[in-house]
Amino acid sequence: MTIEKAYMLISVFLFLSGLFGVIIRKNLITLLISTELMLNGVNLALVSVDRLVGGIEGQVFALFILAIAASEVAVGLGLIVALFRLKGYEGSSEITHLRD
Amino acid sequence: MEWLIFAFLSTWAVLSVMGVLFLKNPVHALLSFVSLILAVAGMFLHLRAELLAGLQLIIYAVAIVVFYVLVITTIPWEKVKRFEGFYKREFFLGFPILLLSFALFAYAILKGNFASVGLEVKDNVKEVGKSLFTTYLLPLEVASVILLTAMIGAILLGRKEE
Repeated sequence: MTIEKAYMLISVFLFLSGLFGVIIRKNLITLLISTELMLNGVNLALVSVDRLVGGIEGQVFALFILAIAASEVAVGLGLIVALFRLKGYEGSSEITHLRD
Repeated sequence: MEWLIFAFLSTWAVLSVMGVLFLKNPVHALLSFVSLILAVAGMFLHLRAELLAGLQLIIYAVAIVVFYVLVITTIPWEKVKRFEGFYKREFFLGFPILLLSFALFAYAILKGNFASVGLEVKDNVKEVGKSLFTTYLLPLEVASVILLTAMIGAILLGRKEE
């Protein structure tokens, strides 16, 4: 077991706990923070595989993931603010328009 | 020494993840998310990805967290106290499944062999910057267009409806 494999285990843990947070959290903003956790886990996996294999492509992809995370958070928080202002919704269990 | 740094950073990260998942107040969850970002930046430094560690600090710990703080200050929290914490039933349903999948991932990582190109990159920032502006020039431009689109979309979503 090398140190890169240990970091890959940590990254899998980060990704799965982000998924867990998306499943269990009630508040919409904490739900969005959990998706950021998942993105961080993927970044860490890319960088540690990069170190294992010996290259730089994983870091380039991680950089693009950072850009996508920034745009995702802008659109997601815009959606949350719009939902709160127009409907008064703040919890993930209230958005049931498509289900009903 | 390497394992000591790893143990320190991973303990820090795991504690912050617990804070993000289980703290009630969204502001506290956001603060432990900042702590997690610092731990991940330390991990990037330890894995010798210096450019990415710096960008992680700049983009996540400054830009994204400032977004969150602005939105949290916009929304009046005293009205929405009923959506704090987490769902109990989903917790007990989801935890064994995610534990099982973590075990599967860990098995695959520990037993698997990775291909090795064997290149040792000396100057990380220089190499990444060079390949960003030569090999990955088109994806870089597409990423900037995506950022512009997200900005326009956020403005459209956040404007006042009459």
